[in-house]
This record gives sequence, structure tokens and C-alpha cells, in this order.
Amino acid sequence: MTKRNSNKRPITFTAALALSLVCSFARDINLLNVSYDPTREFYQDFNAAFSKYWKEKTGDAITIRQSHGGSGKQARAVIDGLAADVVTLALAYDIDAIAEKAKLLPPDWQRRLPSNSSPCTSTILFLVRKGNPKGIKDWDDLIKPGVAVITPNPKTSGGARWNYLAAYGYELKRAGGDEARAKEFVRKLFKNVPVLDSGARSATTTFIQRGIGDVLIAWENEAIMAIKELGQGQFDLVAPSISILAEPPVTVVDKVARKRGTEEAAKAYLEYLYSETGQDIVARHYYRPRLESVMQKYAGQFTQLKLFTIDEVFGGWQKAQKAHFNEGGVFDQISQANR
Amino acid sequence: MKPSLGAVAAAVIGSQTMTTNHLLADDTADTINGLKQHIEQLDQKVRILERNRELEKETADTKPKDAPKISIGEKGFSFGSADGNFAINLKGVLQFDSRTFFRDGGSKGNDGFLLRRARPIISGTVFHDFDFLFVPDFGGTSGTVIQDAYLNYRYKRELQFQFGKFKSPLGLELLQSDPDTSFNERALPTDLVPNRDLGAELHGDLFDGCVSYAAGIFNGLGDARNSSNADFEDDKEFAGRLFFQPLMKSNLSALKGFGFGVGGSYGDSSTVNELPATTGGATPGYTTDGQQQFFSYRNTVVASGKHWRVSPQGSYYYGPFGLLGEYVISAQRVQTNSLNTAALKNAAWQITGSWVLTGEDASYKGVVPAHPFDPSAGHWGAVQVVARYARLDIDRDAFPLFADPTASARSASAWSVGLNWYLNRNVLVKTSFSRTTFSGGGGAGTTAPAIITRQPENVLFTRVQLAF
Repeated sequence: MTKRNSNKRPITFTAALALSLVCSFARDINLLNVSYDPTREFYQDFNAAFSKYWKEKTGDAITIRQSHGGSGKQARAVIDGLAADVVTLALAYDIDAIAEKAKLLPPDWQRRLPSNSSPCTSTILFLVRKGNPKGIKDWDDLIKPGVAVITPNPKTSGGARWNYLAAYGYELKRAGGDEARAKEFVRKLFKNVPVLDSGARSATTTFIQRGIGDVLIAWENEAIMAIKELGQGQFDLVAPSISILAEPPVTVVDKVARKRGTEEAAKAYLEYLYSETGQDIVARHYYRPRLESVMQKYAGQFTQLKLFTIDEVFGGWQKAQKAHFNEGGVFDQISQANR
Repeated sequence: MKPSLGAVAAAVIGSQTMTTNHLLADDTADTINGLKQHIEQLDQKVRILERNRELEKETADTKPKDAPKISIGEKGFSFGSADGNFAINLKGVLQFDSRTFFRDGGSKGNDGFLLRRARPIISGTVFHDFDFLFVPDFGGTSGTVIQDAYLNYRYKRELQFQFGKFKSPLGLELLQSDPDTSFNERALPTDLVPNRDLGAELHGDLFDGCVSYAAGIFNGLGDARNSSNADFEDDKEFAGRLFFQPLMKSNLSALKGFGFGVGGSYGDSSTVNELPATTGGATPGYTTDGQQQFFSYRNTVVASGKHWRVSPQGSYYYGPFGLLGEYVISAQRVQTNSLNTAALKNAAWQITGSWVLTGEDASYKGVVPAHPFDPSAGHWGAVQVVARYARLDIDRDAFPLFADPTASARSASAWSVGLNWYLNRNVLVKTSFSRTTFSGGGGAGTTAPAIITRQPENVLFTRVQLAF
């Protein structure tokens, strides 16, 4: 008996050794997702789900680190060398800048994933104090004297650029395409902005925690989250008559991922955003999912309103950026006039 | 009934008083509301000022991130751009040795102090992916030499290209960093591998470092030779190495530090420089632990054709215990000036064991003391004992045509024991005793190798080392 057992020992040891040899090739993967301000909580949940999925699928343990800030600021950090495996930013222009200035990904990156590489959409709404004491109902209420508007700085925040363009587009449509009137409209609006935060989350802090301002122009998800989780019963959501369709895009940063050997995992990570599980997490965090079945499930939490796209009003991000946010653009002009 | 004047007056006064009171009440409410609004406006202004100051502070706090990074510590001095794309590191190695030979049969001039290595080390990165290393050496006996000077392009960890002067990817102990070797001098197998050479190499780490590879083309060097800054021969040498540490990422802690591999080279050479040094004295060649030459080819012999080497190698580190072993064969075709040729195959091996008495982990990269030397706090650093056995055999066919059997040894065997005291991460004192015995040689010559091989070599080595 004893003899038989001792004979088995080397076999068991060899098998264990062989197994451990195989196991030792299961990799520990690290991904860095450089994202914009209000996606922190969403990606915390999504990362946990993807790590579990990836472990089950490949056996590899994956750790995803997150970096958040104003979208423009984050894009600049990547251009300056922040080694992001994936970027999930507020607007396509910021990723275009990474492609153009740092050549870290191809110019046609937006064609690589469905829906222009935007796994979800959102829009811009107003968050006002309980009972809406200033009676804010639409964009033109924001330019009235005595109304303090909180919105971040379009120079650093992607969300702020959506806010700005939503306001500009509203007036442009109302004024039958009169650019001068639209420009004057946003000038008056920014005259009412007492604090220019660098990102959307920071602006939310200013409005909710610091108690500043009468209205916060916010991402829909940020506004709903603020009502449900940060200030229950203290705020109301106001949907303007028209707003902009925001499509926050995602992509792999090819050169970084290739160098770090994370291409496959990074690609799968973004594709998982489009899966049923990914879309469900998207909706749970108040982003509008692309998947119809998930959208139907969560339809009740989203306000129905008229939306215009950046392409139809501004001719795309490149044109909008150049005309409004580059050096000497409309935003610089109105800031100068407001001084 | 007419109301009396008094009643009318009372009514008028009464109604006026009521009106006045009402008006007074309205005024008070308006005043309070006005004050409330005023306070709210002031409150908003204060909040806005505070928030703007908070944001300004945040901006100021993030500014240092844009400033260049300076680091000074036990790993040297480094300066880098905030984005990490550019960096320069300043390090250095200083080794001050004492060598004392016992019963050396009258050899003169080999006892004494020596500045073995005095190397400022300048390394850095430009444009994120291009690393460089420049190491001049002001120590030793050969005057100032450039030990390393290379540029490395890191496409990714798995795929890197290196160009310049650096160590040929072959010998396990030779590839170990100079300050990290167990003994003051490397063992006999290092005599059979090339040192630093000029060339281009493809290298990288696969599977999170479980597999390392290197393959390159070099000018080609004789055994134990160090390249000058140029080459005057057309023939080149290919060298490569594959090393596995398959369990380094596993949970089997006892086997994580196990590694094995093989290095090799292949070339064609036809000059005397492709042989180990043929003259005696202090020039490199096949040397003992005491750095004395015990074998040389006759000065009429040159390399004359194929030269290949192969070196299976391995190491194992677990806790304070360390083991390193390697075997090298160096096979080379040689020729005399009378056109006699032979393919000679020399071989060497070593096994080195170590144990850190103070319990720290042993590793290929040396020992880091848990408690740096500080007598006032009762800390004494780390102490390691080391032992080694090594042997080198010269091909029998080398004698007598290609090497003088009365001068050069046919084989050398050496055992060594030593004690290493790591005062801290930067300062180390090493003491060791080595005894090397020879077969063959020991004739009547008055220079090395005859004078060296005439009796066993007994040498006491002490080194004080600063490395950062």
C-alpha cells in the first residue's frame, strides 16, 4: 500500500508541475482607461463585469485602471505621453486630436466599432433647485439677468462643449440661422456663469455640494444621478424644448496597446460595451443604450425631447471645434467681451 | 343717531392706526425679504469666491505635475520630464580591491590594492522609447575604456532593438551586473565567453518576463576579450540566448526563482584577436580567480575558421538561498604559422551557492538589506556566505603544437568561499578566499602562465564597493 502511494507521488508531482507550467502562462493584464469626468461610477461597475467575463473566457486576470478629468485635458495628457490602452472620451474631436497630434491611432478610428464607436448616447438637460425658484424652463431662461448658470469650461471639458453647442444650436434654430444672434445668446449665457470648472464632475460639485448657482447644465446621466443619489428631494430635472444628441466615443490607442501587448484585451473591453451586459450597465448609469431591447427596458428613466446632432447644425466636430473653441474662436471672443 | 365727534375721532384714529400698523407690517416683511435676498446674494458671492479660490488651488496643485521630476536616492540621481518622455539617470560603481597571494612561488607584483572599477554610469530615455547607456571605466589596468555605449529602441517590452557596445548575450554570470556577482571575480566559465562587443541585437521579454530572448550580430571576439571601438575584420559573429523562468508568475513560491536557458554563438574568424590573449602578464586571457593567466596559445597561433560556443545555464533563488550554475564549451579552429590546423574544444563549468545569514532574499540582482547599517539602532545590514567550485579544461589537442605544455595548464580547478556584508543597498564589503590548482604547465618560464601554474594559487580578496 505504502509502496503504491510512493510510486504515485512522482506522477502527481509531475502532473502538478505540468499544470502549474501551463497555469503560469495565464497572464496578468493591466489596462488603463483614460476617460472623461462623469464616467467614474459607470466604469467601476463595467470594469468589474468585464474582468469577470475576461477571466472566464481566457483565464487571464485583468486589472483596469481608470483616469478621469475634463475630456480635453485627458486627451492632452494622452498626447503628452499618458499610456492609455483605451480612451473613452466625451467627444470625437478629442480622440481625433490624439490621432492627429500623437499619431497613436489611425484617423479612421471611428469606423472600427458600431454606431461611430459610441456605445451609448446622452443629452444635455438642466438641473435646478427644488421647486425651480427661478422658473427655468428653456434655454432662453438662462440668459435672464440674475440667473446664475453653472457649466464647465469648454476649453477643458468635453461636456461643456456639448452644453455650449446645445445652447448655440437652440438659438441658431430659433433665429433662423442668424449666427450673430446665436453668438450674442451664448455671450449672455456665459455672462451668467460665475464659476468655470474644468470638468463636468467638478461643475456638479459646484452646484450640488457648494450650493452655487440656480441651474446646472449637465449630462443627462449626471443630472439623473445627482437627483437620485446625491441630493434626493433637493433638485428638479428640467428638459429644455430642444437639446443636442451627445455621442461619447471609445477607441483602442493602438500604439500603446501594441507596445504593452494589450491589444486583444483592449479591443474586447470596448466590444463588451456593446454586449447585452455592457448595455445594461450603460443604462443603469443613466446613459442611453444603443441596444433596442435594453433601451426599452429602461425607457422610463429617460425624458423624451427633440434632439439635434452636431453634424446637422455645425457640420461635425472638426468644424465646430475650429469655429468655436480653437484660439480666437467664438468662445474666446465672447469671453473677451464679457470681461 | 349721529355719531359723536369723539366716536368719529376715535374711529378715524383707530382706522389710521390700523392702516399704519398694516403698512408698518408690510414694510417689515419687505425689509426682511429684502434682507433675505441680500443675504442670499452675499452668500452666493462668498460661495462663488470660495469655489473660485478652491479651483485656483486645484490648478496650482496640478501644476507641479507639469514640472520636471527630480529624484535622488539609493538608485542614483535622475531627472525627467513630467510626461516621462525624457529622462537622464546618473549612477556609478566604485570597487576598491585588495589582493593578497599566499605561497605564490616568488611571483612578484601581484599583491596590492587595486581600483578595479571606477565607472560613472549615464543612462536615460529620449522620446519615450529610446533608451541609452554610456559607461566609461577609469579603473582597472587598461587605462580609460568605454565599457558600454548603446542605444536601445523599446518598441514594446517584447520587442527591442539595441545597437552599440554591450555584453554579448551568452554567459550567465557575465551577464550579471558587475556589482551583483557573488564573488569579486567571475568564475572560470567566463574565460570562455565573449565580454562586451560591438553589434546589433534584437531582444525582449515574453509572457510577462517568463521567457527572455536575445539574438544579435557582432564583430566577434576571442574568449574573454573585450572589444575596442572598432573592428578590422569582415567576418562577424552571431550570438543569442534564450532563458526561461516558467514559474515566476505562479503561486509556487519555492519554484518562482527557478530559471534555465542556453546561450550560444557562431562565427568565422581568422585573426589573432579572435583568440584569448596570447601573451602573458596582465593582459586578459584564460585567467584564474586571482586574475592571473594560466593558459595562452603560442604566439604563432591565430584563429582560422569556425568558432562556436554553447552554454547551458541555470539559476535558482528561494528566500535566502541562491544557486547559479553554467557550463560553457568554446570550440575554435586554430592555425600555426606553419599551417598546422586543429579544431580545439575547451570547456568549463561552475556551481555557486549562497545563503543570506540575516534572512533577506538572495537574487540574481544581489541582496537588499532589510535594515541598513546603523549601529546606534542595532542594525548591521545583511550578511551572506558564498561558496563556489569551477573547472576549466583545455582541449588535449592544443598541446604541444598550439600551446606550450610546460607553461600553460591543461586544466584549472578552483574552489572559493566568501563572506559578503551588505551595509546598505549601496555599500558592500566582500571578502573571499580562492584556491586554484592546475594540471600541466609549471615549467621553467619566468612569466605567466608558467610562473602562475607552477604552484596552486591561493588568494585572499577583499573589496569595498560603492554602487548606486
